[in-house]
Amino acid sequence: MKTAMELRLDKKRFLTSLALTVVFNTIIALFLTHLGFGSGLYINFIFSQSIGLCMCAFILAGHYFVKRPSIPGHALLLLVAMPAGAAVGAFVGTQIAGFSFSEILRGRPAFFIQMLFIGILFGTMITYFFFSRERISQTEKQLQEEQIKRLTLEKKTLETHLKLLQAQIEPHFLFNTLSNILSLLESDPTKGKAMIEDLTRYLRASLSRTRDRMTTLGQEMDLVRAYLDIYKVRMGERLRYTLEVPEALRDLSFPPMLVQPLVENALKHGLEPKIEGGNIVVKVEQDTDCCRVSVADTGAGLLENSVAGIGLANVRERLEVIFNGKAHLTLEENQPSGLKVTMEIPCE
Amino acid sequence: MSDVKAVIADDEAPLRQFLRARLAEVWPELIICGEAKNGREALALVEQHRPHIAFLDIKMPGLTGMEVAERIAGACRVVFVTAYDEYAVDAFEKEAVDYLLKPVSKERLEKTVKRLKEDVETGANVPAEILHRLMARLSGDEGSRHLQYLRVQHGDGVRLIHVDDVIYFKAEDKYTTVITREGESLVRKPIKELADELDPEKFWQIHRGAIVNVRSIARVSRSLTGKGVVKLKERSETLPVSNRYMHLFKQM
Repeated sequence: MKTAMELRLDKKRFLTSLALTVVFNTIIALFLTHLGFGSGLYINFIFSQSIGLCMCAFILAGHYFVKRPSIPGHALLLLVAMPAGAAVGAFVGTQIAGFSFSEILRGRPAFFIQMLFIGILFGTMITYFFFSRERISQTEKQLQEEQIKRLTLEKKTLETHLKLLQAQIEPHFLFNTLSNILSLLESDPTKGKAMIEDLTRYLRASLSRTRDRMTTLGQEMDLVRAYLDIYKVRMGERLRYTLEVPEALRDLSFPPMLVQPLVENALKHGLEPKIEGGNIVVKVEQDTDCCRVSVADTGAGLLENSVAGIGLANVRERLEVIFNGKAHLTLEENQPSGLKVTMEIPCE
Repeated sequence: MSDVKAVIADDEAPLRQFLRARLAEVWPELIICGEAKNGREALALVEQHRPHIAFLDIKMPGLTGMEVAERIAGACRVVFVTAYDEYAVDAFEKEAVDYLLKPVSKERLEKTVKRLKEDVETGANVPAEILHRLMARLSGDEGSRHLQYLRVQHGDGVRLIHVDDVIYFKAEDKYTTVITREGESLVRKPIKELADELDPEKFWQIHRGAIVNVRSIARVSRSLTGKGVVKLKERSETLPVSNRYMHLFKQM
């Protein structure tokens, strides 16, 4: 049971093996004739071909019925297949050459045993040759596969790193915030100054932290708070939010920029499209073996055909790379409306 | 020239104030007859006051600035206001539509006002067909033709599963079971409907009762009886392939 491509490959391998066997058999026949063995090249050729091809067929048949045998299984298979193949090959040879098989067995048993012996001797050599060839190609294949795997992982890590860099500061966010600051500096300088401070906190946190692979949950939450504070000024009454982070969990080691994209998603696709705005609740809880961070909004929710949430996709990919499949991201509908995204991260 | 009236629409209050203050500096005679904090209010204001000019923020809740412009096309002159947005700016430049970038600089506003003063006198406007072109250009990334999220029942709530996380779908009586790495859930949709909605590049129907995520296929083989069988990467079970869908694998 193999794919079409494998079958094609197998057929090619089979044909080359067959051709090689015929070549080896011919060499053996020439060699034996040169030594003066048997009764001439013609007879030697018939016997070496029939014995060689029969042995080859028996070994291939053995491999067909016993897939991927163990090393002792392999040895046992050869131990049975080679003498059997040689014996059958010798019989076929006598038939083609026009000899009487029973006569040879009775009259010249030594000749028969010689044929078996020579057959098995060369057979072993040739099998060893095929075996090494197979092993080399297997090793090469394995190496290639491993290399592909490694390169894919490297590419993925790089990509996620790049995405992390891009995710930090969205130009739209930056320019909108700067416009707000400019206007506040005229109408309400105190508020404007506070917003500059928020933006500074946010920029400092997001720019410095991406260089570290791990920061603390507390730092990530500070970043999220600064981000939400900025949005609060911009959206006014339309945004209400709470952060519930137990003080004890603040020192927990945590990858940077994992919660911020979830909050960004809640703002962009949840609250901003809604005229009346809504709530965002960021909650952190610790379980026995995992840490759970949830971001729930009462916004517009996700549509079935929404391509929204490139941020979500990035978070998922980064979780996959950082925690090797041990972290989970769950999306559910929030009641009465909106989206709740929960991230479960293993913690030691 | 009679008194020129304008409305300002932006969901962020400080930005409305800012634009109003700037306009007061460069065009003191302009009468701001109202401020709107979302698309619907903007529409109502335009209908009520019949202003000559509407300054519309593009990203607003309710209706976007673009949608408002479409509905009031012909009624008044539109100036779009946007923060950083390469695509929009590119589109505005191509269609020669007025736009202001936030934060709005005085020089830029002076230029726009100069043109507006001329245009308001000649009564020029943004034609509806240009708006349609703009909208088509800018709405490209809003939604996909194909299904992205599946709503599945989970306990008392509804979970959303991204289609990329699906390994395969299996038809049930009326509904469909979706199998992901995390387990099985039920989608309240028949498999036929899903087959129409899913991206055919990513999902292949291989049987009347099964749709598989192409990414989760480990290999395809033929059984001893010649039937196609799909082996999956992360699941032990195999899926049968009907003869009528075998052509999908011919290219492999």
